[in-house]
Amino acid sequence: MSTREQLDIQAREATRLADPWVTVVWNDPVNLMSYVTRVFQEYFGLPRPEAEKHMREVHEKGRSVLSTGSREQMEVHVQAMHAYGLWATLERSGV
Amino acid sequence: MKGFAERDGAAVASLDEDERLVIARIVADVGMLLGGEDFGAERHSGLPHREDLAESLRFLDDLEENLAEPDDPALLRLLPNAAPDDREVADEFRRLTQEDLRAVKLSRLRQIWDDLSDDGDDWVIPPGDVMATAAALTDVRLVIAARLGIERDEDAESLHADIQRASAALEEGSPAEVGIDPERMWLGMLYDALTWLQESLVSLTLGGQA
Repeated sequence: MSTREQLDIQAREATRLADPWVTVVWNDPVNLMSYVTRVFQEYFGLPRPEAEKHMREVHEKGRSVLSTGSREQMEVHVQAMHAYGLWATLERSGV
Repeated sequence: MKGFAERDGAAVASLDEDERLVIARIVADVGMLLGGEDFGAERHSGLPHREDLAESLRFLDDLEENLAEPDDPALLRLLPNAAPDDREVADEFRRLTQEDLRAVKLSRLRQIWDDLSDDGDDWVIPPGDVMATAAALTDVRLVIAARLGIERDEDAESLHADIQRASAALEEGSPAEVGIDPERMWLGMLYDALTWLQESLVSLTLGGQA
């Protein structure tokens, strides 16, 4: 790994720590469990068991955090979830 | 109606003319709710006018009128608030994404409308379009659910109990006695049919994809 790459990683890490936002997917009575699982697999690239774990968390606890990062990144994820018809929000982590 | 099954690597469902007409119509209604043009206006649909379906389709007219409300809960389900506790973040998100979201949802609905307006019972979805079609079916179901007042899991359960009660009464020949609004029953059955269709589509694993 070059110094440049290391610096890039450090910079990204610093941004992440300075501005930690999360993408939250919420339960709703319309979306099918099979569909939600597939959306998590397709969009977030999660392996099936991981996707199912998040789906069950949404279904049973009402919400699940799917991603952490900058506000801009979370906006992209939330927009993608809305395009799939899932109800997602972004918020500062630890709120 | 036959749900989606794999055929030659594609997802194929079978819908008769009435089913195609009703689903194409609600798909067009959701398109108009999103501010799209009337799908039927520029390209003549192969779907004929049907007097015998007029009663059922009248329920969709009501749906359209109700959806025209500016702070319509159905539209809010399609384009939800991205940050309910932070007005600035929510407004910024809406400003940045709303037009793109409308456009992607409209083009998916439009594709379904085109598919269902073609002659023939088969509804063929190539593997690459499965999730886009499933997403559009979700949007249609979100709108019907908002109209039916389905906000929590229990609301969906009580709708199913009503439909079962109404179906049982119909078999005994006494639909008037169960006291269920025919519009609620009809929209509820449409909702269930779309749910079933979407489940059949989503549960397919085409060409061995996981």
